[in-house]
Amino acid sequence: MNFELNDEQRMLSDSVSRFLSDRYDFEKRRKYMEMEGGFDPKIWQGYADLGIFALPFSEDEGGIGGTSVETMIVGEAMGFALANEPWAEAMAIAPSLLTAGSAEQRAAVAEGIISGETVPTWAHLEPGMIDRGEGVQCSASADGVLNGTKTVVAFGAEATLIFVTAMGPEGLGLYMVKAGAKGMEARAYKTQDGKRAAELTFDGTPSEKLSGGVPAAEAIALAEARGVAAVLAESVGLMEKSIDLTVEYIKGREQFGRPIGSFQALQHIAAGAVVEKEQVRSMAMYASVMCDDADAQARDLAMSAAKVKMVDASRIVGQMSIQLHGGVGMTMEYAIGHYFKRLTMLEIAHGDRDFHMDRLCEAGGLAA
Amino acid sequence: MELTFTPEEEAFRQEVRDFIAANLPAETRDHIKKGNPPTKEMTVNWQKTLYKKGWATPRWPAEWGGPGWSVTQMYIFQQENQIAGAPDPQGFNVGMIGPVLIRFASDEMKKEFLPKIASLDYWFCQGFSEPGAGSDLASLKTSAKWDEDGQQWIVNGQKTWTTYAQHADWIFLLVRTSNEGKKQEGISFLLVDMKSPGVEVHPIQTMDGGHEINSVFFTDVKVPAKNLIGEVNKGWTYAKFLLGNERLGAPRVGASQAKLEHLKEIAKTRIVRGKPLWDHPRFRDKFVEAQIELKALEMTVMRVLSSMQAGADTGKPDPATSVIKIKGAQMIQHLTELFVEMAGEQAAPWTDGELGDNARIGDDWVERAAPNYFNYRKSSIYGGSDQVQKGIISKAILGL
Repeated sequence: MNFELNDEQRMLSDSVSRFLSDRYDFEKRRKYMEMEGGFDPKIWQGYADLGIFALPFSEDEGGIGGTSVETMIVGEAMGFALANEPWAEAMAIAPSLLTAGSAEQRAAVAEGIISGETVPTWAHLEPGMIDRGEGVQCSASADGVLNGTKTVVAFGAEATLIFVTAMGPEGLGLYMVKAGAKGMEARAYKTQDGKRAAELTFDGTPSEKLSGGVPAAEAIALAEARGVAAVLAESVGLMEKSIDLTVEYIKGREQFGRPIGSFQALQHIAAGAVVEKEQVRSMAMYASVMCDDADAQARDLAMSAAKVKMVDASRIVGQMSIQLHGGVGMTMEYAIGHYFKRLTMLEIAHGDRDFHMDRLCEAGGLAA
Repeated sequence: MELTFTPEEEAFRQEVRDFIAANLPAETRDHIKKGNPPTKEMTVNWQKTLYKKGWATPRWPAEWGGPGWSVTQMYIFQQENQIAGAPDPQGFNVGMIGPVLIRFASDEMKKEFLPKIASLDYWFCQGFSEPGAGSDLASLKTSAKWDEDGQQWIVNGQKTWTTYAQHADWIFLLVRTSNEGKKQEGISFLLVDMKSPGVEVHPIQTMDGGHEINSVFFTDVKVPAKNLIGEVNKGWTYAKFLLGNERLGAPRVGASQAKLEHLKEIAKTRIVRGKPLWDHPRFRDKFVEAQIELKALEMTVMRVLSSMQAGADTGKPDPATSVIKIKGAQMIQHLTELFVEMAGEQAAPWTDGELGDNARIGDDWVERAAPNYFNYRKSSIYGGSDQVQKGIISKAILGL
């Protein structure tokens, strides 16, 4: 057992952080958000050139064969910079869903993602879905023709490759649709956290089924697990930066003739946020290791524990940050509100608190 | 990063487990598992058993009798002890004064004291807090004046909240040796024999009915010159080092894990409003939430230990120890709340003293539920209160 990053991982952390700090600041991010598609394709290509999209793919697939620890390192840096691109879809979701595919399918898709050419996303949730992944209405015929509707698909109109969860003749399946495919319509919109998403409708849309790998349900469960791990990682970066911004603000803001950061009431609120953030950092590490655990039940329960902790801490850190900024924290002009909004969206991503509490309670908690 | 245990580490765990099973007296184990604090005899006997095995001081360097374990081994060892219901190592000896001597004392003092500290031949207590010096510890007034004729220190004053002073052979003391300059710069660190003339111990009963803490009075107590640790007026530095170590040991993750498992075990058989408590969704929520928080704490403790092992040991406390101090206290306090809730109205009977026997209406855990809840309010107060820890985080981590 050890919690230290190795030299390569430290280098990865440094190089991603440097890349992001060169390209991202609050003003630049606003410009990227206003670009067509909501992000700058040059930055996406930059990630690919940096090699981060090769990390989660095995050497057979043309990748580097990293682990979810590498994804965590990248995710934390993305959160800190409040990066806008669908990096988690490329690094956590797509490689997981592809485990349902054949070796050829995996290698072909991996090549596009690794080179930066492909922007992947996952059309999973549906308006009438009973629970995450249950009660899928979207249908697929034996030859992969899709009919149905998907909701809040991240960058659904901008992605070049869409993985679709659908019911086929043999049950739950995963299908790949290329951007611009026949019969697919995207109603695109902006999201609370400055990203993009879309409602997608498939009306006789041709697709390629992922087959030859693990059953689709297993691939989906893996994607959800790694999705949670990515949420944890990103939230650590977001919380870290939220606390930095807040501390910087209360050091500079003067009232009653002195910096408000000199008041103990504020100091203790900020210190309480540090305690919570550190607990989430620990859980992010736990999640990054456990999301690849071979025991699916142990994996899922660990992810649920991590997610519940993240939600509780995120509220404390996020709300503290706005509160200590005072009025300016309420405005679009200050970065802190944007961090808060992203944290809030992550709280509900990949299963909200109740979903994960239910899963843990039904199982009687984590294994002792 | 590797969170799973290697086969070697698992083998080590088994070795520890087997050793405890073969050597820990059943009476001690049962006594502790029922929620009772260990007696002095239990603590001493177990420490001596470990001392013979070479396992008494896991974090000490091998040169001074440590077993040379990795952080993971130390962690496994501590966890197995706490889960098995073994008495904790006497913290003032192993976790506090030992490391201070190893780092700051002369070789002569190390040779004289360390083996007896490790074996518990000397039981140490901690003389830090005073009636007028709690969170503001540096304002302490107990004085040590140099007696030129006798070449010795003369100590006068009062210490308080002194845990297990009634058991102690020695006390490590913070004393005022100068009133010049900053108050932190006039403090020295002394070892005092509790049998010295002029030392008096007065018990303090806590609200749970127990006797852990005391007031200790010093009246013209003579202390040999060699009992001063390190340099005169540098005691504050040693105290900060010691408190960092204290915080590191504070969370007692294994003990909380054992308590949580105990809680579950009881909940499965305790019938409340027609069904086992375990099947009540509100109980299940609380159990799971406690488990999540404990998992996060376990990971944080491991992370701090791991980075301490990997990084240079600067002798300065890692501010992250303040995080685990706060969370560790919350954890154990919360678990004791859950036991009171589980006991319900049966937690009411007071089993001490007159009529105490009539009050024995439930299992041991029922009897201990309320006293433990009352007793563990201490954990967010001692070793630097939550508010002191938040002050440390504000300054050392946030720069406020």
